[in-house]
Amino acid sequence: MEKQLSNKFYEAMKKLEPRYPNKKALILPALHEAQKEWGWLPKEVLAEIGEYIGVHAAQIREVASFYTMYNLNPVGKNHLRICTNVACCLRGADDLMSYAERKLGIKCGETTSDGMFTLSEEECLGACTTAPAMMANDDYVENLDINSLNAYIEKVKNER
Amino acid sequence: MAKCTIDGKEVEFTPGENLIKVAKRAGVDIPVFCYHPGLTVVAQCRMCYVEVEKMPKLQTACSTNAAEGMVVKTTSEAVKKGREGTMEFLLLNHPLDCPICDKAGECDLQDNSFGSGSAYMRHSEERRTYVDVDMGDVIQKNMNRCIHCTRCIRFGDEIAGIHEMVAIKRGNNIDITTIDGKQLQTEYAGNYSDICPTGSLTLKDFRFKKRAWMLKKTDTVCEGCSKGCNMEIQHEGNAIYRCVPRENLEINKYWMCDEGRFNYHYTQDPARILNPVQKVGAAWSKITWDQGLSALKSETNAVNTLFLLGTDLTLEEMSAIRETVTRNHKNAKLLSFGTHGVETSAQDKSQDQILKMKSKTSNLMGAEKLGIEALQGKAKADVVVVFRGGRAQLPAIESKKTIGVGVFLEKEVTSFDVILPGLAFTEKDGTVINHQGKEQRLKRAVLPREKCKAIPEVLMLLLNQKTREVLA
Repeated sequence: MEKQLSNKFYEAMKKLEPRYPNKKALILPALHEAQKEWGWLPKEVLAEIGEYIGVHAAQIREVASFYTMYNLNPVGKNHLRICTNVACCLRGADDLMSYAERKLGIKCGETTSDGMFTLSEEECLGACTTAPAMMANDDYVENLDINSLNAYIEKVKNER
Repeated sequence: MAKCTIDGKEVEFTPGENLIKVAKRAGVDIPVFCYHPGLTVVAQCRMCYVEVEKMPKLQTACSTNAAEGMVVKTTSEAVKKGREGTMEFLLLNHPLDCPICDKAGECDLQDNSFGSGSAYMRHSEERRTYVDVDMGDVIQKNMNRCIHCTRCIRFGDEIAGIHEMVAIKRGNNIDITTIDGKQLQTEYAGNYSDICPTGSLTLKDFRFKKRAWMLKKTDTVCEGCSKGCNMEIQHEGNAIYRCVPRENLEINKYWMCDEGRFNYHYTQDPARILNPVQKVGAAWSKITWDQGLSALKSETNAVNTLFLLGTDLTLEEMSAIRETVTRNHKNAKLLSFGTHGVETSAQDKSQDQILKMKSKTSNLMGAEKLGIEALQGKAKADVVVVFRGGRAQLPAIESKKTIGVGVFLEKEVTSFDVILPGLAFTEKDGTVINHQGKEQRLKRAVLPREKCKAIPEVLMLLLNQKTREVLA
């Protein structure tokens, strides 16, 4: 099989290896590192990580699909994850979600045709004190309402 | 020995035993889903809640080891409430389609719901649904019924040695499936259906053939290889519907391979010869037992006769044949045949390090213990008589006349001249010796069909002209 991951990935893993008691503990950092490289995790990449760590690719798939931070499908440039768990829901997250869907013209879980936005639902970002919250790529956007969500989307759109 | 108390009964235990095993000895059944004695403990179904004195909360019996002086209650109010709550959660997404579900009648979910659940449910929201995934030739999956006990995943990983089942996503969206929807590869796939506590993984071979409670059960031993896995034949109306493994910790533990599980099919094959027949030209024509036995008798009086004896026969049949041959055919040779390339038990090794053995007959060791030598290469004689239980692989035969006694399918015996039909392993009692040297009993599950006769009876008729005339 052709190598999907770069030498940089393997170097980073080498550095992390001594930090953990066994190689299996490397699954999460390896997935993060691979996602940094690819933007998402195709199955060839999962298989390669499995081979590197020495467990069946199925186990990697189980882990990767458990956590919502790992994308098993390609995502747009801006990945918006709106929390819809209890606190955010009580503060109007459902309205925000349907607004975002209308604004971007996509359904939750889809990507816009220009590849700019992916919209998804998140189970608790741990930001209940500042609900409703959204995670945009690696940043938190908190205390949202429809106006601030609109402003954020506009801002990101104009940045390109 | 250390002792603990379960529901007021004092029980002895060996340290390291979990409460489910200890309770079982005290006669207390604790309902379980994810726990299986042959698999690792994960304590994720939460069904086996028990109350342990001095512990603040309910404990899962599967993951709690018995300790000296421990006082366990399994029927207290708190336990009942805990189990009822667990049951309600487990049934949130279950379609409750027992009337059309194949597992009904032998379903852990059904039994435990009846035993520990509530008759009412507060849940009125929509249930999640999945599209069925094709899982290959053996297993049909219905994910809607699944309660995510992960027994199947652990079985694949720990017993079958292939991590092919996976749990994708989490929580309400969890999906137990194969990697990328691939078909199951293991040769032990039938066990997935056995250990599934719901009707999620059902056997394609058995689906919708018979309701579980209509089946009669006969304990016997698999004849698939020299392992001698303990199994149960489930049958009704003289027809076999399926075979399932029985627990025997010294031999097969809780499992059996698909080859053994589906092996019984040949006994019900339409091409099985069920009447005494004789070759006329290229076709078979029916004859009476009297004619068949006369042919056998007159042919075997020839000078150069070779008796071949399949290692799939029982000890009783083997010794009856040996007795007859040594007494009445002093010049004839008696050799055994079974699996090509596995003539002695020394050559009989494990095939896959799980259960399967290289010898594909059940009684190779028995034939050896009776001192019957194995045939090497071709069977060459003027007349060859083949005794066979149905599974031994026929050797190449070079003879003027070949007579078969036992179970044969039409396509196997194109070069034979006379066939006298015998009983398959499902139709007879007897003893076999497995590769470890353990003696085990075969038991009759179904009655012989049409004109099949047991080998001892055939031999008896062969010797006794008078009885033959009366019976024929």
